[in-house]
Amino acid sequence: MKNERKRTFLLITIPILALFVCFNTIPLIRGVIYSFTNFKGFGSYDWVGFRNYVDLFSDARVGKSYLFTFKLAIVTTVVVNVISLILALALNSKIRAKSFFRGAYFLPNILGALVVGYIFNYFFTYILPAVASMIGINSLSSSILSKPDSAWIGIMIVCAWQAIAMNTIIYISGLQTVPEDVYEAGGLDGATGWKQFRYLTFPLIIPFFSINMVLCVKNFLMVFDQIMALTKGGPAQSTESISYLIYNNGMSGGQFGFQSANAVVFFIMIVCISVAQMKFSGKKEEQL
Amino acid sequence: MKGKRIKYLGTALCCMLAALSVWGCGASSGNEKVEIEIVQYKPEAAAYFAAVEEEFNATHDDIQLKISSPNDAMTILRTRFIREDYPDIIGIGGDINYSYFVDAQILADVSEYEGLKEINQGYLDIAESLELVPTQGTYIVPYVANAAGVLYNRDLFAEHGWKIPETWEEMTALCEEIKAEGILPFYFGFKDIWTCLAPWNAMAVELSPSDTAKQVNAGKTTFTKEYRELSEKYLQLLPYGPNDPFAYNYNDACTAFARGEAAMYPIGSYATPQILSVNPDLNIDSFVMPASDNKEDRTLNSGIDLGFCVTADCKNKEAAYEVLDFLLADENLQKYIDAQNAVPCKAGEFQLSSMLDGMLEFIQSGNMTDYQDHYYPSEMAVDAQLQTFLIEQDVDAFLSKFDTDWQRYNRDIIRLVQEYEKEHGNVKE
Amino acid sequence: MIKRKGNWPAMILLILGLSTIIFPLYMTIIIAFKQPSEMTNSIGGILALPKVWNLENFKEAMRVTDFWRSLRNSLLITLASVGLSLAVHSLMGYALGRNKAKSKFYNFVYLFIVSGMFVPFAILMMPLAKQTAEMGLANWFGVILLYVVFYMPMNILLYSGYLVNIPMALEEAAKVDGASTWTTYWKIIFPIMKPMHATVAVLTALAVWNDVMTPLVILAGSGQNTLPLAQLNFQTQFGTNYNLAFASYLLSLIPILIFYIICQKQILNGVVNGAVK
Repeated sequence: MKNERKRTFLLITIPILALFVCFNTIPLIRGVIYSFTNFKGFGSYDWVGFRNYVDLFSDARVGKSYLFTFKLAIVTTVVVNVISLILALALNSKIRAKSFFRGAYFLPNILGALVVGYIFNYFFTYILPAVASMIGINSLSSSILSKPDSAWIGIMIVCAWQAIAMNTIIYISGLQTVPEDVYEAGGLDGATGWKQFRYLTFPLIIPFFSINMVLCVKNFLMVFDQIMALTKGGPAQSTESISYLIYNNGMSGGQFGFQSANAVVFFIMIVCISVAQMKFSGKKEEQL
Repeated sequence: MKGKRIKYLGTALCCMLAALSVWGCGASSGNEKVEIEIVQYKPEAAAYFAAVEEEFNATHDDIQLKISSPNDAMTILRTRFIREDYPDIIGIGGDINYSYFVDAQILADVSEYEGLKEINQGYLDIAESLELVPTQGTYIVPYVANAAGVLYNRDLFAEHGWKIPETWEEMTALCEEIKAEGILPFYFGFKDIWTCLAPWNAMAVELSPSDTAKQVNAGKTTFTKEYRELSEKYLQLLPYGPNDPFAYNYNDACTAFARGEAAMYPIGSYATPQILSVNPDLNIDSFVMPASDNKEDRTLNSGIDLGFCVTADCKNKEAAYEVLDFLLADENLQKYIDAQNAVPCKAGEFQLSSMLDGMLEFIQSGNMTDYQDHYYPSEMAVDAQLQTFLIEQDVDAFLSKFDTDWQRYNRDIIRLVQEYEKEHGNVKE
Repeated sequence: MIKRKGNWPAMILLILGLSTIIFPLYMTIIIAFKQPSEMTNSIGGILALPKVWNLENFKEAMRVTDFWRSLRNSLLITLASVGLSLAVHSLMGYALGRNKAKSKFYNFVYLFIVSGMFVPFAILMMPLAKQTAEMGLANWFGVILLYVVFYMPMNILLYSGYLVNIPMALEEAAKVDGASTWTTYWKIIFPIMKPMHATVAVLTALAVWNDVMTPLVILAGSGQNTLPLAQLNFQTQFGTNYNLAFASYLLSLIPILIFYIICQKQILNGVVNGAVK
């Protein structure tokens, strides 16, 4: 019986793993090979050894894009998780028109990038400044997307606006696994409000918290659509994300080899972060 | 138990294989006609090309023509190149991608094509100079050109009696005059970084040598030297635009200009359809951007907007030429010009859009110079650097960064050029 | 008692949050009904209702995108990808989730696949374009297969995370009855993961439905369109017809919204049926 179980698991794992290797790992290895060339994306190319990697660490533009991307990812992750947890708790409580709200909150996620880009551009360029000058906030009287110091905030808002829906769904499905009797037992002990959340609810949804963290890291470190829709890397190259550089200079431009190197370094970096993160939250799960 | 499992797996596998074979080989079918496929990169002209395709196929029995006008054609072309699935003809612009494609030997030499004789020599020269290192052949049949300068609101100009400026001095005087009347002289949409290049290119043709980039590659000059006046003059334009030009994108600027919020808009002729969609009654004309104080320097900023290249992989060049003949036929070219406000590259009598009236004498006399940005590698992001420069307004920092970045992004090209010069001596001198 | 007290703040919060969604939606809808000549840069102008309400934009948008054919293609790809993802990924998530704590091999495979989430698509694009063409997969089937691979890391993460909350006792009970692991999985575990299936289905469907790059690269030159590919026709560098584009986006939003609402019910029902703990 034990052997049967083992064999079944192997029979499941190996073909699927093979599929994954075939369409993810092998192309990735091919990409890594290109990172040692000056391949433009077509035509012939020369081997350049580690030149691309050496360049990468001396390229101010790449460095800036890493700083920007991490800043954006960290802030957005915090904002999204706080808001979507609150929303999930609210949507999970006994309220009226629950399914209407759940449907409505999902909408930002499905509006296409063109629509989101247009509306938020309009909002930041015309509506927000007008409203701000009406109530007398001078710092907001011109578009926040037009200043290098504040453009990232605009992108953060749109990223959060779109991502909250998905994170909320995952938190809701987490909250569903918390049985009612936990609350009842907690209620008897006098745990209400924040205490109830902190000591009863939250510990039980930690697996979902870590799923959301990983999803956030993935979505925001690889942010691309929102940049294309809102700023295209401007103003003054202040919002060029790593994915933006990899795509624009590698795919559309003639830097395929160099940007492949960038992608490799970026990949290794996120994997290290994620493994550390998973180890950390894994430990937490075990503790509870 | 085990048998059942294997049965499941077997069924799944069979399904996959069956699906594979169905999906994999459904395409090929016997056809005696020669098939010619064109992929062209201007999706805005899709309707024109669809009509051409239909008309061609209706009148030709031996050739089946297929034209696609996809969005993001460059990505599609690149992915098709990498899988060695070349269309017979590609329609692209005369920019650095063309230079790369020639260098990568993807394109076929079309110098034997008869239709080339009817193309204005000026555009063939432009195509020639786009090659990274000089080659023997010709690789593109220039079809239409675009022109960049300043679009202006004809009615506003007539109403106030403003005159078209011909020198930089007249230009700034005009701007002051317009401003004094309480009207905004220029609209800019610098939030979309590529629009920063439009005034830059239009002024560069008068202020810098047309082969600046090539001279730098050959180590003969620097951008710091050639672009200083240009950069300083560009900054002087800013006060004549809206307050925070970096807040508005191309679309905002087009709408504002269409609504009469500004008297002029420094952009190419390609913007007119978007402007007219907002306000179909707007009376637009254009003039050549004056940047120099010397009237002899005047020249129109114009480059190959669309040209056709036969790929080296094309099996049937004769058929491809027949298709090109059809595209270049006067009545078809005229249709394209009408639809896109374009400038033909072919010699002959064509009716141009009234929006090009102010540029007509330059077009007719062939006094045109190619865009400087056609030589800039896109990954260097000169447009974004320009935007940075316009925000920070630091000429020295901008120019020195331009020079260092240029060396970095172009080193393979520079090496190529220098190797070529070593081999062939300084032929061009 | 405690619960009811919490309701009003929650309600107010939700309604406040709703305004950030209603406003953009309002703009999308009115722009979809307007003509290009009604577009302005003034706030009063953009927020004003269209002069005439008619469906011309929608009709035109459907014509430009060849709506029914593109819709059929999009539906086909999305449903096939979601179906395969649910089967393959849940199975893999089960195999890995049950073993990764004990076995180094499974733990490695788990981390190996999950880390695939962070491979930037741009680096895979060129090699994949070449590889799929070589394997004769530059077609719908290739696109679906690629989606199954692309979303595998995320979905496996979700499934194996959910499995933590499903006690082993259920499986062991079945084992006593003599059921094989394979049957136990399909009979017991698979149905229990229903809320997760719904979540995975929503995530995968949404990603596939909106994706442009994969079909663009893999199907390049085949002349076959998905809805997002067809919608590219509305924007060019030198001009975008926002009115038609918005109408078209509204149309393509409907199927996925319906799909979401169906799945959302499943996420809720799952709790009742599952009674996991």
